[in-house]
Amino acid sequence: MLLRLWPEKTKVSFMSLRFIALIVSVTALLASAAFLSMRGLNLGIDFAGGAVIEIEEPADISAQDIRDVVEPLIVGEVQVNSARGTGPDAPDIAVVRFKPQPPVGDETPDDAQNRAGDEVSAALRDLIGPERFQIRSEASVGPKVSGELFRSGIIALTVALGLMMIYISFRFQWQYALGAVAALFHDVILTMGMFAFTGFEFNLATIAALLTIVGYSMNDTVIVFDRVREEARKYKKLELAKVVDLAINATMSRTLLTSGTTLLALLSIFLFGGPVLRGMSFALIFGVIVGTYSSIFVASAVVLLLGIDRGDKPKREVEGFQGVG
Amino acid sequence: MLNFPIWKVGLIVVVLLWGTILAVPNLFSDGFLGIEPKEVSDPTNPEAVAAYEQQLQEAEDSWWFLPAGKLNLGLDLQGGVYLLMEINPDEIAMNRLEQFQGDVRTAWAQRGNRDVILRDANVSLVDGRLTYRLNEPDRQMDDALSRLRRVNPTIGQTQIDLFQINEGGNGTVIISSPPGALTALAKDAQSKMMEIIRRRIDPDGVAEISITPQGDNRIILEAPGEADPKRIKDILGQAGRLTFNMANLDPSAIRAAVASGRPSPRELLVDSMEAGQILINRIPELTGADIATANRCFDEANFPAVCFRLNSSAATKFYNLTRNNVGRNFAIVLDGVSMSSPSIRSPIPGGSVIIEGRFSIEEAEDLAAIIEAGELPARLNFLDERTVGPTLGAESIAAGSRASLIGLALVGVFMVLAYGLIGGFAVGSLLSNIVLIIGALSGFGATLTLPGIAGIILTIGMAVDANVIVFERIREEQANGRSPATAIQAGYERALSAILDANITTFIAASILYLVGSGPVKGFAVTLAIGILTSVFTAFVVTRWFTVLYLRTMRPKRLAM
Repeated sequence: MLLRLWPEKTKVSFMSLRFIALIVSVTALLASAAFLSMRGLNLGIDFAGGAVIEIEEPADISAQDIRDVVEPLIVGEVQVNSARGTGPDAPDIAVVRFKPQPPVGDETPDDAQNRAGDEVSAALRDLIGPERFQIRSEASVGPKVSGELFRSGIIALTVALGLMMIYISFRFQWQYALGAVAALFHDVILTMGMFAFTGFEFNLATIAALLTIVGYSMNDTVIVFDRVREEARKYKKLELAKVVDLAINATMSRTLLTSGTTLLALLSIFLFGGPVLRGMSFALIFGVIVGTYSSIFVASAVVLLLGIDRGDKPKREVEGFQGVG
Repeated sequence: MLNFPIWKVGLIVVVLLWGTILAVPNLFSDGFLGIEPKEVSDPTNPEAVAAYEQQLQEAEDSWWFLPAGKLNLGLDLQGGVYLLMEINPDEIAMNRLEQFQGDVRTAWAQRGNRDVILRDANVSLVDGRLTYRLNEPDRQMDDALSRLRRVNPTIGQTQIDLFQINEGGNGTVIISSPPGALTALAKDAQSKMMEIIRRRIDPDGVAEISITPQGDNRIILEAPGEADPKRIKDILGQAGRLTFNMANLDPSAIRAAVASGRPSPRELLVDSMEAGQILINRIPELTGADIATANRCFDEANFPAVCFRLNSSAATKFYNLTRNNVGRNFAIVLDGVSMSSPSIRSPIPGGSVIIEGRFSIEEAEDLAAIIEAGELPARLNFLDERTVGPTLGAESIAAGSRASLIGLALVGVFMVLAYGLIGGFAVGSLLSNIVLIIGALSGFGATLTLPGIAGIILTIGMAVDANVIVFERIREEQANGRSPATAIQAGYERALSAILDANITTFIAASILYLVGSGPVKGFAVTLAIGILTSVFTAFVVTRWFTVLYLRTMRPKRLAM
């Protein structure tokens, strides 16, 4: 017997659950907004500027030793975290972080950032000894670039949402486009809220993850919409809520299977892909789950709310692409 | 949907083969098949390096039928330094303005007392504007304007005037750079500076560094394998302005200048690498532009030193200078610091000069590279700097491959569990999908980054989607009583529009990510976009082909799925 994630021929009335879902979604959105405004995002250096220096930490050096040599050089807070190295006899790792540095004299803010980074690595080199000093990674971002990166990230998200909306209006009807975009905003806000809640670092890779979530959620939504369109044509007299339910039931098995394989792949990145990819894969895992939920309960519910044009007017709509291949 | 004419089959085979051939070179390490990459016995010995490279080349040549392109690993995987630098056009304009002021002064001074108007004028240089205040504006203005305009330089290879020279009221002439000129100036400086940066960082032209422009006034340097950003910033942080000036080492003159803080107008007080401060002539005899070549050498005591050779006209000038000044000292001054101030014992012919100092070999090499590359027209601002050490890079590669394999295995098992034999076909097409992604990335010379690997893994998860959509449709159609052949037919037909719509929207997201992303994120967008294209192809064409082959050969009564 083959694996079934969803029985065949179901008649679950998803749309009668839409008010419960509305409450769930609104609560989650409000919670996200609250976390975002109160705790804020833990912006990584891509967006906040500053420096992160990751070095190998020999056994006879403690985080406190490192803090002692770095703190006098830096204005503001210095974070020093030690971590176990990966692998059996890998040395421990120390991560030093500090915020953008204020300029001294006629320095530019970017110069100040640079000078501080150089001073700190020189001090660490002296502390640990040149022959044992190993930089694992170092990043120093000045305020100018971090601002630009943040703006371009936001622009990317906005442009992507806009283009998708245009594409969906073109391929379906505008009601579908609104439904899809509502679902996308829902997913993006919830994912950002999750980042504010957990305090995971929000950086360029997270923006990449958000855009991928947007793509994935849209993908999921389109599959349901495509089926709604088909069923609506087939059963012209059936009330819309029933049509939507039919479509969701018919695509449910696919939705769960695809989410399942995607989640398996993502889980493998999260668990085995190393620390660098952890934040990104976390965002993607959360986003895929929320995206699956939203294509049913947000996108479809909005379409149901707005109603669709069911062929009273002469058909202009093209079935598109069919017959290719 | 179910017939595959011979040309279609041919096309599929060609695409798969092409992808495989492009992907195969990645299986080999640098050593290429069978020949272990031996460490070069002595990396500083050029002959050993050349012999090693020749060996590699020969090994590669024996596999001539494979393409040479391999996946480029991003800096986050192979380790290296990324540096984003900015040129401030205002600063270049300011430097050029100062230079212009100097040129005007020398040009006017040479003509003697006839041209007194500008010498008598008050000059000030503030806020990026050079202002001349004329003593007798009524009589001198027209003459001054036309003289100044005649020496107005143009920018680089363009015909754009560098400055606008206008009457400023109250008997002043104002010289400044209009915004259009500033942009052209930055653009011109950008390409010049890229060349200087390359020559400084990689004087022998052997390293795989990449220097690319960004916008009008930014430069990106990527140096794979480099682990010390400090050294690069030190090399690039120096203006590299080299001059030869006659020097005055008389202790009492120096003491007097230090005490009063103001040397005579013709002299400057500069720090010396050798001891304390010395006095040098304000106007240099030779500059960095007169140097033909510079390299690291050893002095008589066998310490590393920098040797350089002047070009022929400068060599003559230098010979005359040393002939006329035997017994005096000259100083070699770099960025306002005297590197060396030897005394002239006899005229020096041939134009060969050596700077001795207590350099390390590396310092001497860097210094030679800086001197030979020439002066930067403006300071570089370091905006964004990222370094990944070789250890972390190797760990990331290991983690990325491990996650890919595990992800692939999980998805494969899941598909077979869910769809049985047909699921197996999907896994087959998934494998061909990965080969195609790697082949396409290698063929385009794209860069694989760690997020890029995540993109591939994500594609593994999402690529089965198209298969799943079709399979679900086939299941449904079969449940409605259709035969395997018609069920498959209907499944593919009905799923097509959904699959295309769904993938086009994801492709939009990936394209935008590519356009606005940078570095590793761009790598993610590339693999995601390529993955979408190949996964639609493999799901819709390759899996279908497998399925049709199965139908034709086994003629099953019913599909187990």
